[in-house]
Amino acid sequence: MSAAARIKTIVANLLFAAGLPVLILVAWNALAKKPDEAVGAEKFYPDPVTVGRAFADNWIGPAFAHEVLPSLYRLGIGIVVSIVAGVAAGTVIGLLPWLRELTEPVLEFFRAIPPPALIPIVMLLLGITDTMKIAVIVSGAVWPILLNTIDGVRATDSIMTETADAFRITRWQRLWYLVLPAASPRIMTGVRTGLSVALILMVISEMFASSSGLGYRIVYFQRNFLIAESWSGIVLLGLTGVLLAAIFGFAERRILRWYHGMLEVERG
Amino acid sequence: MAERTTMLRVDHLRKVYESPRGDVEAIGDLSFTMGAGELVCIVGPSGCGKTTLLKCIAGLLRPSDGVVEMDGVRVTGPTPSMALVFQEYGRSLYPWLTVRSNVELPLRHKKLPRARRDRLIDESLEAVGLAHAAKSHPWQLSGGMQQRVAIARAIAYEPEILIMDEPFAAVDAQTRADLEDLVRDLHRSRGVSILFVTHDIDESVYLGERVLVLSKSPTRVEESLKIDLPDDRDQITTRALPRFTELRTHVYGHIQRAKAR
Ligand SMILES: Nc1ncnc2c1ncn2[C@@H]1O[C@H](COP(=O)(O)OP(=O)(O)OP(=O)(O)O)[C@@H](O)[C@H]1O
Ligand SMILES: [Mg+2]
Repeated sequence: MSAAARIKTIVANLLFAAGLPVLILVAWNALAKKPDEAVGAEKFYPDPVTVGRAFADNWIGPAFAHEVLPSLYRLGIGIVVSIVAGVAAGTVIGLLPWLRELTEPVLEFFRAIPPPALIPIVMLLLGITDTMKIAVIVSGAVWPILLNTIDGVRATDSIMTETADAFRITRWQRLWYLVLPAASPRIMTGVRTGLSVALILMVISEMFASSSGLGYRIVYFQRNFLIAESWSGIVLLGLTGVLLAAIFGFAERRILRWYHGMLEVERG
Repeated sequence: MAERTTMLRVDHLRKVYESPRGDVEAIGDLSFTMGAGELVCIVGPSGCGKTTLLKCIAGLLRPSDGVVEMDGVRVTGPTPSMALVFQEYGRSLYPWLTVRSNVELPLRHKKLPRARRDRLIDESLEAVGLAHAAKSHPWQLSGGMQQRVAIARAIAYEPEILIMDEPFAAVDAQTRADLEDLVRDLHRSRGVSILFVTHDIDESVYLGERVLVLSKSPTRVEESLKIDLPDDRDQITTRALPRFTELRTHVYGHIQRAKAR
């Protein structure tokens, strides 16, 4: 392919990817109310430019450190704790059949509880603290990771296990070179689900009880009829979700490179 | 040939799989011995308990009755003096590790100096002709190459006895012939004892110094046959020898009788 043709395809791809978002923005702009219509209507149906301006005013600069970073911090800690706890407990439960039978009904019960329902109780126990919000995030995000890890560890190929037995591979090496890699596709599936749950719970926990953070600001704007500002917060949430997905995608491609390669070969 | 010292002794081995749906007697009463440095082939009809026998020998399964002794010591679990090449080679290699790491994994706990470990890996990959594929992953290789990785892993482990379970059942004829010669080469150049299970009669005669014919389940040793072919074997000339034909007819007859019973 010539250089010109290559540039042409790149531009075409970009235009294609940007097409729908641009279309949505145009449609939004057309539907939004302008200042010359009914009194105050533009306040409730702001156009994209107004929301964009609110975004710059409210989230960029010092507000980023005050409002966004604490949220991201709680989200990050919540996710890390969920992954570590979910994978560690899932591995132990997956490896011990008796423990699995013992814990299965209890796990099913806890998983069935909608985590937001826990917020008032956790608030009483832990107060309106970062710890409380992290606890709420973990209480929801840990389940998909835990349950997927259990299934992944259980499904370790029997021949692979016998190979490890025959070559007398030690317990820790077995964990690191067999059990965890074998379960890693399932673990990553769990983490993907856990991430979206964590983002939802980050916002909800801040809406309930907080004096900072994304969720808190969105509710604050809404209560003060700052509709454009509210919308700008939602845009930021969307961007946070996209960023999380990008980080996850990057990590997944590295960790599961062998798995995707293998699937590709199997498909021919 | 001088009389070899006994290395492996299987004595009145019996294995019953117990399950809620009833017990399966996979091995009835099986005894044989194997000398140090020997290459013994085991043939038997499908489902007669060959894999079960190997797993009992390797210490992966506990016999229901009888003993397995290695160098005079009773086998109660996997020992460092044995290495196994599984029938399902594709599933016995770890797809997340490179070829090299697969070979290296069993050596990690052997507490060898780094340089020696590296040399063992290089030499065994070299021996199976896969030095160039060390950085590949198993799923990037053909079936025959994967089987070679499994063999390299086993010989790098430096076992006294190499146990192979129908290792070439799933590869094409040409690859199979190459791998058979590889096994004979390893046996001669490294002096490792090999216990080789197959259901291919020609293969057992071509490879073995001795062939054990098993009966169908509940399994016994039907016949132990010494293969008096010259040590230097060659896919074309050896298989064309009248003695080769005699021996394979002989083994074939025993298998037919074993099946009929
Ligand atoms: N885990 C098990 N539980 C119950 N029965 C089993 C089990 N493994 C094998 N068997 C039974 O024991 C018998 C011997 O099986 P085995 O796999 O040892 O035979 P094989 O000679 O290796 O067969 P093949 O030539 O097909 O590899 C078969 O009847 C089989 O169904
Ligand atoms: Mg078998």
